[in-house]
Amino acid sequence: MDGEPLVRWYWIGDHLAYLRDLALDHAVIALVPVLIGLLIAVPLGLTCARFPRLYQPLSAVFNVVYALPSLAVFVVLIPYTGLATRATVMVPLTCYAVAVLLPTTVDGLRAVPESVRQAATAMGYGPWHRLTAVELPASVPYLVSGLRVAAVSSISLAAVGALVGRGGLGYLFIDGFQRSFPTPIVAGIVLVAALALVTDLLLVLARRLLAPWAVREKGAAR
Amino acid sequence: MIRFDGAAKRHPDGTVAVAGLDLEVPAGRITVLVGPSGCGKTTILRMVNRMVEPTSGRVLLDDTDVTRLPAAKLRRGIGYVIQQAGLFPHRRVIDNIATVPYLLGWERKKARARAAELLELVGLAPETAKRYPFQLSGGQQQRVGVARALAADPPVLLMDEPFSAVDPVVRAGLQEELLRLQGELNKTVLFVTHDIEEAVRLGDQVVVLREHGLIAQLADPHTLLTAPADESVAAFLGRDRGLRGLGLRSAAGVAVRPLTDTSQYGSWDLTREAEGRPANWLAPDGSTHPAPAFHPGTDTLRTALDAAVLSVAGLAVAVGPDGRAVGTADRAAVLAALADDRDRPVSTHGR
Repeated sequence: MDGEPLVRWYWIGDHLAYLRDLALDHAVIALVPVLIGLLIAVPLGLTCARFPRLYQPLSAVFNVVYALPSLAVFVVLIPYTGLATRATVMVPLTCYAVAVLLPTTVDGLRAVPESVRQAATAMGYGPWHRLTAVELPASVPYLVSGLRVAAVSSISLAAVGALVGRGGLGYLFIDGFQRSFPTPIVAGIVLVAALALVTDLLLVLARRLLAPWAVREKGAAR
Repeated sequence: MIRFDGAAKRHPDGTVAVAGLDLEVPAGRITVLVGPSGCGKTTILRMVNRMVEPTSGRVLLDDTDVTRLPAAKLRRGIGYVIQQAGLFPHRRVIDNIATVPYLLGWERKKARARAAELLELVGLAPETAKRYPFQLSGGQQQRVGVARALAADPPVLLMDEPFSAVDPVVRAGLQEELLRLQGELNKTVLFVTHDIEEAVRLGDQVVVLREHGLIAQLADPHTLLTAPADESVAAFLGRDRGLRGLGLRSAAGVAVRPLTDTSQYGSWDLTREAEGRPANWLAPDGSTHPAPAFHPGTDTLRTALDAAVLSVAGLAVAVGPDGRAVGTADRAAVLAALADDRDRPVSTHGR
């Protein structure tokens, strides 16, 4: 890449629509698995809170999955989901999301003060009803923190999917590397970071809307 | 009425929480369970709403064995207040209070109207309704906890050290409020505390417990303070119990001399404000001193004695319901009332 400047602005100017499409594709590949992961992790977490013995084995399974290198999992999945399909990338990312969100769900439910649990029981909530109507809503701030971690790591992991043909912005890294042309690489890094930042901000905003009662800055609202 | 009929709780590991309790909790009255930590008082309380199931014996609520009722249904008919309030952090005050009505399937509008009523009943401002629990002080949270327990108008109220986590001034206010509420509502209240002062202040009957939920003494507060069953109860009651017992007796028996009778003033003179409230004692040298006062109709002998002791003139000022000074009583007059009144305990609960 000798003599090649880090950024050639004309290339970016020429490829705006292309970059936008890659970014959107990246967002879908990275974030839909987080949503699906949430839909799996919450019922699973509630079940673990109801039957605590399930939690150890389940979290062990998801931790092992989380420890697998993403590229290896993508490659293993190709025979089943096909090369360059979204599913090849999204299935592992969903597993990673569950691996992050299951412990946060369970921790969040456990963090609900014992007094709240007891008051709910004493007022006539059954165990499931109490979990869904009291403990789950009370642990929304935890869930959102979990979602922030899961979403940002999913956005970064999704780029690896480019190696099996479907990686959204990750494609820019391969392209730039193969052509010894750094501009797409820089553009990719900036866009991945921007995507992560925007997602994170949206989640913080969502937390304010969903759990206004959890905004307890020191000295606020008395 | 709640009746414990040999109710016992043994844990699976063999330890005994409650060895076997026979106790009647009369309807419409406040019964206080008091004892050191680990004496099983909370376990006893929780047997009533089946948060603890007795391993032998029975707990009867209006002659029905509580274990025959579905737990959720039973609990929706029993108010429960705990130390940390246990308010739902994600619900506004109004919806916290309306919890049981919602569970009972009331319409949202009706439930909230009832909750607003209760908010007022426990002395909270209407604008509190829209707040979240974290925006309230400890005392306010506890009031909301009481309102929530009363929302569906249950005949029975279980209170587990509800005022222990707030500071003494707030606690005194909450205790007074509970007595005022009880005067209006006449619930069957079972109240657990480790604070003997609180027990004596609130209870119509006080049950002093020792370990394993054994009853050391069951008595009305006055009897408890004047005639503890044994050394251990006396020790638990602590020092000054005779003096504290005066706090349960009315000051109505104190002979008050009218203001016009200045013979007992000596060289002192009482100055009054424009509305007739006592202001100061004026000494011969022109210096002024506070004039402690008591209200014979509503205050206790303890307050009257305190006023007489504190007054440098040796005279407690008696005031009428409007706060106007009506007369004075010297220390001898207060002491005479003590002797005179010994066998006539007077509840200060206004009931």
